[in-house]
Amino acid sequence: MFRINLIKITAIFLLIPQLVFGAFQEGEKIILDEKGNPIPFALVKVDGQKPLSVDENGQVDSPSKGYRVVVFALGYETQQLTWEEWLASEKIILQEKTGNLQEVVVAATRTERSVEDLPMPVTVLNTEKIQETGGMRLSEILREQTGLQIASDHGAGLQMQGLDSDYILILLDGEPLIGRTAGTFDLDRISVSNIERIEILRGPSSALYGSEAMAGVVNIITKNNSGQRKADIALRHRSFNSWNPSLELGTGGEKWDANVFLDHFQTEGFDLTPETIGQTQNPYKATTAQVKINGELAPKWDLSLFARGYSETSDGLMQTGGAANPELLEMDNARRDINLNPTLRFKPNEKWLFTLRGMSSWFGTNSNTRFQSNGEVFDLQDFQQFYHRTELQTDYQIKPNQLLTLGLGQLIETVEATRYDDLNRFDAGYFFLQHQWDPGQRVNVVSGLRADFHSQYGNRLSPKVSGQYKISEKLSWQASVGAGFKAPDFRQLLLNFNNAASGYYVFGATLAQEGIARLQEQGLVAQILFDPSTLGDLQAETSWAFNTGFRWKASERANLQVNAFRNAIDNLIETAPIAQLNTGQNAFSYFNVRSVITQGVEIDASYQVLENLSLSAGYAFLDTRDLDVVDRINNGEIFKRNSQNQTRRVTLADYGGLFNRSRHSGNFKINYRELKTGIDWALRAIYRGKFGFADRNGNLILDDESEYADGWVSVNLTASKTLSNGIFLEAGGTNLLNTATPAQPNNPGRVLFLGIKIPVLNLKN
Amino acid sequence: MKTIQKLLFTAAISGFLFSCDSNDDPLPIVPLEATLVEDLAAPNDVIDRTTGEVTEERPFQFFSLEQNALVSENEDWDLAFKGTTIRVNSSKNVSAAVVNGIFEEITEVPANATFATDTENSFAIPTGSGNGWYNYNPATFTVTPIPGRVILVQTTAGNYSKIEILSYYKGNPPADQINPMTTPSAHYTFRFVLRPDGTTNL
Repeated sequence: MFRINLIKITAIFLLIPQLVFGAFQEGEKIILDEKGNPIPFALVKVDGQKPLSVDENGQVDSPSKGYRVVVFALGYETQQLTWEEWLASEKIILQEKTGNLQEVVVAATRTERSVEDLPMPVTVLNTEKIQETGGMRLSEILREQTGLQIASDHGAGLQMQGLDSDYILILLDGEPLIGRTAGTFDLDRISVSNIERIEILRGPSSALYGSEAMAGVVNIITKNNSGQRKADIALRHRSFNSWNPSLELGTGGEKWDANVFLDHFQTEGFDLTPETIGQTQNPYKATTAQVKINGELAPKWDLSLFARGYSETSDGLMQTGGAANPELLEMDNARRDINLNPTLRFKPNEKWLFTLRGMSSWFGTNSNTRFQSNGEVFDLQDFQQFYHRTELQTDYQIKPNQLLTLGLGQLIETVEATRYDDLNRFDAGYFFLQHQWDPGQRVNVVSGLRADFHSQYGNRLSPKVSGQYKISEKLSWQASVGAGFKAPDFRQLLLNFNNAASGYYVFGATLAQEGIARLQEQGLVAQILFDPSTLGDLQAETSWAFNTGFRWKASERANLQVNAFRNAIDNLIETAPIAQLNTGQNAFSYFNVRSVITQGVEIDASYQVLENLSLSAGYAFLDTRDLDVVDRINNGEIFKRNSQNQTRRVTLADYGGLFNRSRHSGNFKINYRELKTGIDWALRAIYRGKFGFADRNGNLILDDESEYADGWVSVNLTASKTLSNGIFLEAGGTNLLNTATPAQPNNPGRVLFLGIKIPVLNLKN
Repeated sequence: MKTIQKLLFTAAISGFLFSCDSNDDPLPIVPLEATLVEDLAAPNDVIDRTTGEVTEERPFQFFSLEQNALVSENEDWDLAFKGTTIRVNSSKNVSAAVVNGIFEEITEVPANATFATDTENSFAIPTGSGNGWYNYNPATFTVTPIPGRVILVQTTAGNYSKIEILSYYKGNPPADQINPMTTPSAHYTFRFVLRPDGTTNL
């Protein structure tokens, strides 16, 4: 039987005020994991009594006599004991569940459900998985996961199911993060130190989240101390003189808790091309501060406040002016990001939950480039974006096996930038509806629909249906069909850009008519290539996607998950010339032109060989193609040249699909706990197959061996140990074989790191 | 321009082509000589990158297909080169069409080819990446001829010619050996076939 979440939320909410923290009496027991560490939030339940919570030392006082005692904790196998057995044992050891099927996921349904109950492909990375990568920025965690790639294009952009960063929604504690450069959300903006877990939801989720959730959603969940007093300080250091000190503070009482997080990261960057001026990655400094407060305002009313600030500065050198008279340019870039998200929850009874969220974000970048010789400004770019959203979510438990979720929201977005005229404002409203239903013991269905109403590009309706069938206790099959979309962004609508150096113009769709008219008035236009009355009608990019797969728990020790997907994307936005200018250059604008298919299979397998040794392997196959290119190849319209500059027609067999996609990728991981020393070893080999890097033969498509970058393997090793007093130590390295990959500017070569974390207030002994 | 050479495209190539043909059309066609022009230098104007102003204007390089030579502006030139721009001699009624196909396979002027001459507002050979003869690849900063683009020209003498531009970089390097920072650009290498009798066979 599946479990629907509102009940689970109920349980957690009702439990908290009733936790028994009283002095322990005789007969108290301790609940431990296999390593002998206490499991602080285990629950002990006797027959019809209310569950008792274990304290932070894993101890629990004896419940009233009963017939049977059940001990459970999230992520562990549940244990049942008879009353006699309970009395006889001092320690109760829970076995950790293998795989991540029990992990709770919020992003998939906006309610809490465990992975095994979700009819769509979801991966959860818990603290241990995050820690074992030794990563300091989010990109370093995600790059080790099956089917995910990090592309270097205006920042570290995620690629999922063959789609770029533009089509992936990034959430922080459930709220969207804004601020993209050329479509890329730079994952290096996110510090890893205070992340509790990461939910990765694959396949379109526009039915819940609207724009951008076309390829999938990544939800980053930050730590919550649940009222414990805590002061953890950490310091990490790695190659390229990178330092990462951080501080986590936590406090609280029975009805409230507060968390403060401070993190600073600085690096000298690296240079893969020392022969040219300027580094591949410039030195930068990034500081994150975050405050999270949760509390009970009154019975049934909860309030939480989330505030986060991020500030980053970088500087570098660049050369311009060609080989004849080179000029050095100094660059100063700054980026900042502020989030403020208050959330109010009201739970009048078991059946209803109301959640009111307000979310405001300010994102800004500033880039100042000057001549080194005289300090004169070469280029100055400023970008300021504001985003506000108010949303009311209502969850209603219709029946024990049906949960209805209704959302209503309104958003305002403004942008002001050097390359845009004036201050621009978008307004939008939306509602969504989701129904979670377990029609039988073996079947569960999640269906949803979202409608978006937007002041600039009109309305969109995004449906999605997902279903799961439990063939047996061990094997379940999932399938989902859903629509995704991505709204045209500011750049595509509002850009007003003139490249002085080469004399071309780019107009956002809404400015194109006006821009061309102005160029005509100035007598600059030689020929109009598009009927101006058709300009400005830019639609959202849309997709339909199908995902299907299964989860097989072959034994207590072995897990297999498979998901196959196909995304059919239409109306992709591209630039195209709209007018020819007298200079021979063009003016461009944006159009819905391309159609693309991405499809593939992702497989994850894990096997616990011994209690202290586990293996896992992942493989992803990816096939992508641009349908217009396929048409043109079929029509014999695309040609290629060999190195002797002889021309022939391109055949479909030559065509390699979209650039920067690896057809094959995968990973192999070994986790080993050395029992004598207590050191945890995590050895990972991450493979990225060859991928199209750039056109070399002039036809702009990927169709020749010379256009591929070689595949490579990154061998990463982390050793960590938690001392008996609670101090955590780690050391390790990534890309230990020091494989150079010139086609991937985000690979600096071998990186070594060291770190320590001290729980100052919770040191044992 | 360094050298202008004449090359006879050997019987091997034509023989290959004919052997590919079906037997429907046994009429022998006299193979025409293809002429290779190497490294025709046509540097672009110097533009101030910060302001976009032209700081030094450079002349067009005027070329006569009939004479296979650079000529002066007041002579019977067919094409004029500067940077990536190729003009046709509109005052002498030279016209051009851009078609898709394999140079050797285009054995006559296609019926659907639309010839045009330069006007005040348009070029017979369109400029801009992807429009006329070249693609600009913003990832590698290189200008490469669009494979399969063949320019058909009706010359000052009224004869038809087909032209394939092979390279925009000095020395006609393979495209993957071009370094946009160091390889001199605006050096055209192209080959052309001129039908001297005014017929549409090429």
